[in-house]
Amino acid sequence: MTDLVFPVAPARPRQGTFTRLVRIELLKLTSTRLGYGLLAASAGLTALWTTLEASRAGKPNGPAPLSTLAGQTSVITGGAWGLILAAVLGVTLSSGEFRHHTATLTYLATPARGRVLAAKMVTALFAGALFGLAGYAITLADGLAFTAASGDRLVVGAATLTDWGFGHLVSAALLAAMGVVAGTLVRSQLAAVVGIFVWTIIIESLIGGLFSSARPYLPYTAATALAGAPLGSANFGPSRGVTGVAALPFAAATAYLAAIALAGALIAARTAVRRDIT
Amino acid sequence: MATIQIRGLVKRFGPVTAVDSLSFDVTPGTVTGFLGPNGAGKTTTLRILLGLVTAGAGTATIGGRSYRDLAEPLHQVGAVLEAAGFHPGRTARAQLRIQALAAAADPSRIEDVLDLAGLTDAADRRIGGFSLGMRQRLGLAAALLADPEVLILDEPANGLDPEGVRWLRGLLRGFAAEGGTVLVSSHLLAEVAQTVDSVVIVDRGRLVAAGPVAELTAGGAGLEDAFFQLTKEGTR
Repeated sequence: MTDLVFPVAPARPRQGTFTRLVRIELLKLTSTRLGYGLLAASAGLTALWTTLEASRAGKPNGPAPLSTLAGQTSVITGGAWGLILAAVLGVTLSSGEFRHHTATLTYLATPARGRVLAAKMVTALFAGALFGLAGYAITLADGLAFTAASGDRLVVGAATLTDWGFGHLVSAALLAAMGVVAGTLVRSQLAAVVGIFVWTIIIESLIGGLFSSARPYLPYTAATALAGAPLGSANFGPSRGVTGVAALPFAAATAYLAAIALAGALIAARTAVRRDIT
Repeated sequence: MATIQIRGLVKRFGPVTAVDSLSFDVTPGTVTGFLGPNGAGKTTTLRILLGLVTAGAGTATIGGRSYRDLAEPLHQVGAVLEAAGFHPGRTARAQLRIQALAAAADPSRIEDVLDLAGLTDAADRRIGGFSLGMRQRLGLAAALLADPEVLILDEPANGLDPEGVRWLRGLLRGFAAEGGTVLVSSHLLAEVAQTVDSVVIVDRGRLVAAGPVAELTAGGAGLEDAFFQLTKEGTR
């Protein structure tokens, strides 16, 4: 008679549910002052910029008058460039682990490093969305206040205002997720943050200025356009405000930016994430 | 209880062989000292054991599984590797809340380990203001949070004052007495001699000696003399 032997399945690593990993990342984010500081900086810069734009509206070299659609658009979406700080927040979520040597504790708790990266990206989506909403609330309030104060009528429709709000939310969320990828690939927080600013302020402005047809596909430009800013209006230098090229439609821009974030995450998961933690 | 098993471990960083065909065991119920000069490969071995560094060859297992395959690693292994491995802007209590969530540990354990580490009064201070010794205590508190079966500690006595060293000694002895497995690397040979049951001595990535302290010092030499003799022989 043959003994029946039932193979024992090896214990499957659980290492925490994904929800738990996201909660851990949210707790990390909210337990230091950096995230709040970046949010305050983003809100402050947005308020300052929007106020300056609104006070210059209708004046020589300033935006169009607040009585016009162009003027109101310029003011209400003018703070979209402040969404760069959402990307910076994303960078700090990932590169901060290496700056403060906390990656050791993180990977001891969750050896499945790809899941940690995914949890950081989801956390960045939430936090970035908050940056976008806060920024839009400020620009909208500022724009409405200046429009009312100048005695002008709001010419932007409610549906458009809602789209811009949703666009701020989505674009800031996706920029933050891209920031996580950048911080993971580079590891050096300073280099990654500098890289974000160099890319958005210099490289995209140069490429957009030289090849206007490429402008809708430049990630930061596409993100600001998603937030309602006319294509290139949030750029700096030669490509600022260049017209004649249409931005990607909302869904296409969202899918495009999400695809960039996802592709970056896959590259990071296959390369940087696997590196030794020494 | 879990045995640590290292078999044929090899790790190279470019032209440098940090760990060279290393094999040894650490059994439950004992405190094992992991000794060697600077650059001997101790930290690299511990990091391979903990899944942080990938070995070129060989295996490092805890209870028969690699660290990355442990179902709930923090419940099985508590580790302290770097005193600086905390965000300086976070409070000790917040750090332990994160660790407790990561380990799915009972949050009430946070107060227990803070008390155990003597950090209750400093729990709501930012870690950036902690001394090295306080960070070590916090690291140990975090390692003990999920009541693990194995402790892996890299230079845990660094920065501890004499009272802290004594506290650590009692902690490790008590942990092993309850059947736990302890592997502790240290440069403080006099302290190690008072704490450990066995030692594993490595030099230039290779095993030089392994066994009970009593055997190594059977000739009448102290652990320090035995260590220097063994590592000197290794360099010849």
